[in-house]
Amino acid sequence: MLFNSLEFFLFLCIVFVLYWFVVYKNHKFQNVLLLIASYVFYGWWDWRFLSLIALSTLTDYFVGFRIYQSKDKLTQKRWLWVSVLFNLGLLGFFKYYNFFIESWIDLSASVGYEFQNTWTLKVILPVGISFYTFQTLSYSIDIYRKKLKPTNDFIAFAAFVSFFPQLVAGPIERATNLVPQFLKKRKFTYQNFSTGIKLMIWGFFLKLVVADRAAIYVDAVYNNIENHDGLSFVVATVLFAFQIYGDFAGYSLIAIGTSKLFGFDLMTNFRRPYFAASVSEFWTRWHISLSTWFRDYLYIPLGGNRVGKMRWLYNLFVTFLISGLWHGANWTFIAWGALNGLYLIAEVLVNRKNRRGIINVLLTFILINFAWIFFRANSIDNAFYIIKTIFTTPGRLYIGSGDDIAALLYAILAIGILLFVETKKEYFNALLSISKNKYEVVRLTGYAVVVFMILYFGVFGKSQFIYFQF
Amino acid sequence: MIKKEYKLALIKLVKFIVILLITDFVLGAISKQVFFSQETGKYARSTHAINETNAKVLVLGSSHAHRHYVPKVFEEELNTSSYNAGAEGQQLLYHAALQKMILKRTTPDLIILNIDEDFLYTSKEAYDRLSDLHPYYANHRRELKPILGLKSKLIGFKLFFRSYQTNSTIVHAIRYYASPQIDYKGYRPLFGKVKPSDSTDEILLNEEDKKIDQNFVKVLRDLIATAKNKKVNLVFVTSPTLQHVDNSKNISFTTIQEIAKKENIPLVDFFNSKQFVSQYKLFHDTSHLNNDGAELFTKLLADKIKRMKWINN
Repeated sequence: MLFNSLEFFLFLCIVFVLYWFVVYKNHKFQNVLLLIASYVFYGWWDWRFLSLIALSTLTDYFVGFRIYQSKDKLTQKRWLWVSVLFNLGLLGFFKYYNFFIESWIDLSASVGYEFQNTWTLKVILPVGISFYTFQTLSYSIDIYRKKLKPTNDFIAFAAFVSFFPQLVAGPIERATNLVPQFLKKRKFTYQNFSTGIKLMIWGFFLKLVVADRAAIYVDAVYNNIENHDGLSFVVATVLFAFQIYGDFAGYSLIAIGTSKLFGFDLMTNFRRPYFAASVSEFWTRWHISLSTWFRDYLYIPLGGNRVGKMRWLYNLFVTFLISGLWHGANWTFIAWGALNGLYLIAEVLVNRKNRRGIINVLLTFILINFAWIFFRANSIDNAFYIIKTIFTTPGRLYIGSGDDIAALLYAILAIGILLFVETKKEYFNALLSISKNKYEVVRLTGYAVVVFMILYFGVFGKSQFIYFQF
Repeated sequence: MIKKEYKLALIKLVKFIVILLITDFVLGAISKQVFFSQETGKYARSTHAINETNAKVLVLGSSHAHRHYVPKVFEEELNTSSYNAGAEGQQLLYHAALQKMILKRTTPDLIILNIDEDFLYTSKEAYDRLSDLHPYYANHRRELKPILGLKSKLIGFKLFFRSYQTNSTIVHAIRYYASPQIDYKGYRPLFGKVKPSDSTDEILLNEEDKKIDQNFVKVLRDLIATAKNKKVNLVFVTSPTLQHVDNSKNISFTTIQEIAKKENIPLVDFFNSKQFVSQYKLFHDTSHLNNDGAELFTKLLADKIKRMKWINN
């Protein structure tokens, strides 16, 4: 079920009413309702893969107890490995099996050994598998690290793993933050309700107006690269930067807003990333739930920056390489991750961290956009072709005809509104805030105008969220 | 305490919905005003066809209709009025909806539906592009709901909002205010000649993967029934082709032929017409006639209409 569908709107209304008006007296009944609702939400897409979520839930619930009950460190570690191998095994099989087999065959062919490809399988990638496996892993790891006690409440734990607002595209919540919220009574507050609705409205604006508008032009250029010149690639890449931001930050805001309607607080996932003045700062603003996950469960265990300089740089690079691979089974994502790793290494070497000022913001934006070329290109060869064309054949800007030219203009308008709002928040937060205006009618009209813009400028019935594929 | 919070949330929600409806009503009315004040462009042509034209010979169809039928030639040859309501990129669902809206107000003597051979094959675009009809929903709910309902069962709810009815139309409006798009009673000529190097001897179509959409079949039958009910002569016409086309295995086209035969609807087939095949000077590109080709084609068709007495004059 997609957030940007009427099915979801009706589903949300029904669950909300049942949650606060039928089973409101006992939070355990509410958890049962959320669990059922989450399985319906996921099963709407493909009910067969509910079994994977159920297996992941059972494994980590059981493993959590075994780790906690084991007295010696070695046994605890063995149980932790059960969780790691099971979750990463699921991820590896469904997401990476064919990629590694095909890469191996290609590599062998390049050195003269031809294999007939009989090993690849027709595997469907279950939506959200990268998100919920990481979330359940964090539960077992945090118990192993003694940051968390396992819960006896299986329903609460199962609801934590499958919580529908963030099940398929995050934010990847930590067990230490979310599990305790399932174990206590939630109170309906006007503040949560109001904030939740506002976050959802802005999330839909980001998705339907910014991302989906930009996508029309980006797809027209990136899916027909032989027909376009460098200038069109530059414009399409900048639009893609806003497309993926609008798409993913939009999803996150809708997820956070939906959670608030049920009395849950999820972590912030994006904090105006394109105002970062260095790449390292960018990664403290972009997909925060994933970058902190990698920081806590990979980078720091590798030694983080409390090691020799060479080892520190190695840790940075490996973390980003794996982060790239997490995004998808394609060399384009690995190259994107590696490039970001190299950026961070370069920043350490030239001591470019903690910079300020518009020049650094622009420079960072250019670097990030350059990396997005690998992320969006359909293949590594395409990415290099695009980069080469940008530098050798600027040519003319494709403005298309009919839908494409309109899409470009709508996208520019939408990005203009987004930049205005975010610039104000970043630098002039106290000035002219409609959401903090003392007159209620002004505040409500402000949000009504955003809804009007969604209905008037938004793209409807066209696309799902990009991060569903990860 | 909790009840107080519920009450507060409910009151604020109601206030927000009221303000939202007022905003939608006011801004939606402005956007509709902008939409219906367009004088040129595809929306202006559709609006003219739906709200104003009283032409006795009306043309419906996709870009082949829009670019191939010259109203002026019909008017000279048939001594009657004519309007070309062809719409580029649109398919059967759109044409059927347009026909219903037009026939609600006026009754032409003859409707010419230009047939594309793949009209009945499944097509996502045929459904997606129905959004061009949304601005007319408020005034033509009964005619549009069955067809728009094929795309979304909740269309009535979605189109409740005025702003959604004119979604994605403002750039089009601004564009043609700034640079008007000239047409001649709905017809827009193409100029220039196709080069022989752009064509192949015969078009081989891969029909194996194509499937018939039963909705399209139903809508075609409905279009015929609507014309019959209003006692309007309906003629199916295929446009001339530059290259020889073998449609014998095209299930879409053969199905249309069968329906036309069963329903007694004349089908004037210009596919592979000797006067046009390999006549590069009559084509703008491999698929569309240029102005010379369109005038010749319209004249030949007008002669046929006269001979067959499909209009009363």
